[in-house]
Amino acid sequence: MSKVKWAGLILGLIGFCLPLFVSFPGLSLAGHFAMSIFLLAAVFWMFETIPIYSTSILVILAEVILLSSQGFIDYSSTSYSPLSYTEFLSTLADPIIILFLGGFILADASVKYDFDKSMTRYLLQPFGSRTSMMVLGLMLVTGFLSAFMSNTATTAMMITVILPIVAKMEPGDPARIGMALSVPFAANIGGMATPIGTPPNAVVIAALNQQGMEVEFSSWMIYAAPLAIVMLLIAWQILIRLYPPDMDAISLNLEGKLKTSTGALILYATFAVTVLLWVTESLHGIKSAIVALIPVAVLTLTSTFQKEDIRKLPWEVLWLIAGGISLGIAMKETGLAEWMVGAISWDQFGYLALLAVFATVALTMSNFLSNTVTASLLIPLAITLVTSGILQGTAGMMMIGLVIALGSSFAMILPISTPPNAIAVSTGMLKTKNMITAGLIIGLIGLGFILLLSMIYWPYLI
Amino acid sequence: METKIYILVVEDEPEVLDAIVRDISAFESHFVIEMADTAEEAREIIQSIFDDGNQIGLILCDHVLPGDNGVELLVEMQHDPQTESTQKVLITGQAGLDETVRAVNEADLKHYIAKPWEKEKLVEIVKDQLTEYVLEHVSNPMQFMAVLDGERIAEQIRKAKSVTDN
Repeated sequence: MSKVKWAGLILGLIGFCLPLFVSFPGLSLAGHFAMSIFLLAAVFWMFETIPIYSTSILVILAEVILLSSQGFIDYSSTSYSPLSYTEFLSTLADPIIILFLGGFILADASVKYDFDKSMTRYLLQPFGSRTSMMVLGLMLVTGFLSAFMSNTATTAMMITVILPIVAKMEPGDPARIGMALSVPFAANIGGMATPIGTPPNAVVIAALNQQGMEVEFSSWMIYAAPLAIVMLLIAWQILIRLYPPDMDAISLNLEGKLKTSTGALILYATFAVTVLLWVTESLHGIKSAIVALIPVAVLTLTSTFQKEDIRKLPWEVLWLIAGGISLGIAMKETGLAEWMVGAISWDQFGYLALLAVFATVALTMSNFLSNTVTASLLIPLAITLVTSGILQGTAGMMMIGLVIALGSSFAMILPISTPPNAIAVSTGMLKTKNMITAGLIIGLIGLGFILLLSMIYWPYLI
Repeated sequence: METKIYILVVEDEPEVLDAIVRDISAFESHFVIEMADTAEEAREIIQSIFDDGNQIGLILCDHVLPGDNGVELLVEMQHDPQTESTQKVLITGQAGLDETVRAVNEADLKHYIAKPWEKEKLVEIVKDQLTEYVLEHVSNPMQFMAVLDGERIAEQIRKAKSVTDN
């Protein structure tokens, strides 16, 4: 075990024990236990003492033991009425988890039948062979795919597309760096566009749902997709200017044909129907989590997606999301979130300043931590600000949710910021300092746009 | 400490040994190259690598050696669970058909390089074999993308999801 992990283990255990021995005025007994869990989880997530998905499961286990009516603590003489253990366990099957499951099965079936590659081939064609246009094409296609598939899988696929292109370039051509950065950046940005684009969106939407606020698939897209598109274009311009290509044109040979086996055809149809139903949710009102069961059912009952494919789904990502959701529930129900928020006198802030604080904190934290962890730690506090009346109503709630989810997706300055960044740096085509420069500029512009949208766009839609 | 992956080169002629090691020196950023001039010495090195908790990804082995020959060493390694997964390559001018067949059948020989070799060809083979090894035996092959076959490793991340969103 590395020194960092040891430090995390020791700090995490100290954090867990602290509320058991120190009494914080104004915080209930249950709040103290919730704080133990919160500190343990925060430290373990930050130091990655254990895998982040294990920390999530540990959170759920600790909640059942310490905070549920079936747990070991007797709350009969306190004001906290313990939740049933099922409340904590059921976060593993939260509607947003089911939505992601549907998304995962569509994405993995697409990989199985190379639908992602076929789409890439088809979608890249109109961009021609001019190097700068090709980078634009790569970014728009990456962004589009990663709105529906995992950012990491999209990046990995696109890296297999760009490696042969880059191999044809001169070793010193700056466009090599530009291209290697364009893919992870576009994947990070594309993930913002839909609820299933990236896990932080899930954590935020689940927290809003807990407050009785339904977030439709299509309305999320209306709030976030324009930002993603504008930022893709801006990021493209930044990369082209920072790393101007030496070669004007470059040939792109994408081999392979669209598969036409029965399984592949079933996949294409299921994909089209599901995405269509998702983006038209506001017209027919069928909830996106219910629609998500269509691909799960259709692709498995037709054996398009088989048992061994199911086993290979990235289940740990679902655990990670569930851990974040259940931590939020515990913090809210025990009054911990309210107590933490109460420690700062927020009423001196205007609402915009408040959004700016959360956006900045989200952006900064998730450059160093997992985006999902960042959202999981921040959203309970943000929600409490709204419910305690410091931010106003549903619009305030939606906006602060968007600010946290989108802010954490704009974190892309380091290889550790996101898995797509890590893949890009691993190719050896760029140095970390290239990523810091471009990522910092894009992150700051993104931050500015988030705040701009919360002034001139979102308030009129929500 | 992280587990190191070794490339073991077994060759009795010092000049040839040097030439091989020089040709594959580009891999030294991610792998440790270790040399032996007899099968006997190779066995000792293999044991010490495992004693330190490390792994052997690839062996490039000459056939004609003083004492036990290269094919015998490779067959023996194939029967040892520790070195069964090591990618085995014979690099020789003088192995007869019978011995080569034995190396293929009993040592799961991955490649046969005839002397003299071209540097590009050797590097290509080493890259392929090490890629094969890390894809099979390393939990996070991403770290090897820059020196090995990046396309195949990216393809594995796409298909097997050794890296996921977080």
